[in-house]
Amino acid sequence: MRTGLLCVLLCWIAPALAANFPLSLVDLAASSRWQALMHVNPGATLRDRGRSYIDDDNYFLADNGKDDVLAELRATVAALEPAQAPERCRFPARYRFLAEHLNWQEDAPFAHCEEYSEWRSAVQASRAVLVFPAAYLNSPSSMFGHTLLRLDQGEDSAVWLSWAVNFGAVSSEADNSLFYIYRGLAGGYPGRFALVPYVQKIQEYSHMENRDMWEYTLDLDQQEIDWLIEHLWELKDINFDYYFFDENCSFRLLELVEVARPDSQLLTELRFAEVPVNTVRALDDRDLIRERHYRPSKAVELDNLRRQMTARQQQLARDLADDPGLLESKEFQRAGVQQQALMVTTAYRYLRLVNRKGARDPEAAKDSFTLLTEMNRLPKVDVPETVDPEPPESGHGTQMLALAGGQREANQDFGELSYRLTYHNLLDNGYGFLRGAQIEGLGLTMRSTESGDPRLEELDVVSIRSLSPRNRFSKPLSWYVEGGLERAWAGRRRLVRYVQGGAGGSWAMGNWQPYLLTSLRMENNSDFDTFLTPGAGLDAGLLYQRGRWQWQLGSVGHYFTNDTYRHTSELAVHWAFARQHGLRASLSREGWRGDGDNEFKLQWRWYFD
Amino acid sequence: MKKTLIAATLLGASTSAMAVAPGGPGCGWGNMLFEGNSGLPMHLLATIVNGTSGNATFGMTTGTNGCDTNGSLTYSGQSLLGMTGVMEEVAQDMATGEGEALTALSVSMGIEAGDRARFNAAMHENFAVIFPHQDVTAEEVMASITEVMKQDESLSKYLA
Repeated sequence: MRTGLLCVLLCWIAPALAANFPLSLVDLAASSRWQALMHVNPGATLRDRGRSYIDDDNYFLADNGKDDVLAELRATVAALEPAQAPERCRFPARYRFLAEHLNWQEDAPFAHCEEYSEWRSAVQASRAVLVFPAAYLNSPSSMFGHTLLRLDQGEDSAVWLSWAVNFGAVSSEADNSLFYIYRGLAGGYPGRFALVPYVQKIQEYSHMENRDMWEYTLDLDQQEIDWLIEHLWELKDINFDYYFFDENCSFRLLELVEVARPDSQLLTELRFAEVPVNTVRALDDRDLIRERHYRPSKAVELDNLRRQMTARQQQLARDLADDPGLLESKEFQRAGVQQQALMVTTAYRYLRLVNRKGARDPEAAKDSFTLLTEMNRLPKVDVPETVDPEPPESGHGTQMLALAGGQREANQDFGELSYRLTYHNLLDNGYGFLRGAQIEGLGLTMRSTESGDPRLEELDVVSIRSLSPRNRFSKPLSWYVEGGLERAWAGRRRLVRYVQGGAGGSWAMGNWQPYLLTSLRMENNSDFDTFLTPGAGLDAGLLYQRGRWQWQLGSVGHYFTNDTYRHTSELAVHWAFARQHGLRASLSREGWRGDGDNEFKLQWRWYFD
Repeated sequence: MKKTLIAATLLGASTSAMAVAPGGPGCGWGNMLFEGNSGLPMHLLATIVNGTSGNATFGMTTGTNGCDTNGSLTYSGQSLLGMTGVMEEVAQDMATGEGEALTALSVSMGIEAGDRARFNAAMHENFAVIFPHQDVTAEEVMASITEVMKQDESLSKYLA
């Protein structure tokens, strides 16, 4: 309330001040709003410091506008001042900025801008919401989640009518995923803002990909939201560079918020890798988040329904989906109305979930319709709320430093220092993270022993693991892929280069989660005769989670084409004693034909950023 | 160029990732409600690039797709129904009597907050009339909704 008053006061005073003491153009160019409108990098990333992030001549009226915001300001004044100036239609936010400060007074400055006026009257919003669809491991660009902005027209419950502001790379249809990653990292794509109906985004994320969505209402007032919308128009068809790691969807949204509220200090810290969840944290740290709302995916809703039923009812619901004729069966007829409703609703939801992605199947359509009609006849079933969904921004930090000490065999003590750039390990504190999902990028471990210099123990380039439990209604594939450098036995312990991965299944039984995956490995080391030696094997284990304790008993073994055999088994326990700290103990055995080494390790892990 | 962009509709005619009108310009229930998305490859691509593929879409005010005949309605009841996947959600909400899709539909039809419970109830009671079979089209659904509203004294005023 107080800030609201203050703002009203300021808004009232500012033009008055401007009229009496016109700021010099130099001061204006340095003002935070102009800097934000120009998308000047205040030092948040290493590229283009002090220059505009915008990589498009169409955005600049001055020849050197990208580098010289003062020149751009002068050019803008010259271009926008004349009545009926066509450039006004392209730069309504700039016009508003200048009009306020230079005391331009015109009743209808955009009367001649037919296209803009039409657009502006359609894109109205009284509330801005940051939307964070949670991690989606099956797509490289969405592993860490994604963020977009939602503009609500007002009605609380009518978010299906809202607009979604999305920043993404513009790629051609022919590009495949690998090429995308490469160009995304190397900066080969232009990025653009797009404005689409939010309902499309719900369909995409919540319905098609089964991702939970978190919606954070931003603490922006009407004035600020109007700035944002008007500036959005200026960014139509304007290219930015797109970099997967830092200048990505999340980062650009901070720039938009910066236009709405200059001086919000969102971009002052250097950001090496912008993980979407950190965008949420950045906004939260600046008190820009007013409210949080959780939107479960269709799969989560179905799972909640499933949990309301006995095993027998689950089976009947599952059978109903295959054959709605069972609505006439004795067993179904005997059940109470509420139970019937629960089973029919589950069957319908399941049928839709599995059929939503494929081509239309007339049989499934007919069955769905039969079940839907039955749902209409029976009382409504309330899908129970998910039990206390954990907000992602409350999870542990995305970077990690760790110290460890241990013993290998009976006689070799060692100390270790590890750093991980991002993001989450299966044993790390799971609060706020997708269960059964692991994403690690750029992890480095140095080990020092009494007998020698510190040396590289491990370099994880990437390690992704998706262990989603299977049940009656959902049969996801579990898989993993990882690669990098590690110490392994090849005549002696050597640093080997490897890539490995596999697929299989995982099941949840209370707090227990067993998994079984096949595993293929390609290895390069100086002991093997061939440059690359393939091996095949299994990766199996058991996870157990209770409170702050996470256990894993696992084993992975490979048999190589040169008749070498090797396996590692490990029992590990992680105690997440604080949000940003954990203690981990592990006992492992690395075995090979005829011999093996045992190792014990105790590690303290500190998460930050 | 600009004009084409405008015409390129946000409701999914050309550039949007979800835009598909299988079986041509019609927008029957068969295409929309219990429809699989034959645009899946496009969808995957959109996912991979975080939601923008080909030409970026930028919200435009005039929307045409197979469903709305006058071509000028954005988010009006009928265009909304025509959007991929929406009719399915509306049907589900009508079957149970409430939900976000149904709210969006009533808001887009201009029904005031005080009458929305009545609207939901009317749709719920007349579910079988509005959705008589799985091959009903969006136009038929819209016509039935209109018919139901016409019969209801507190809803008929919205049809004027």
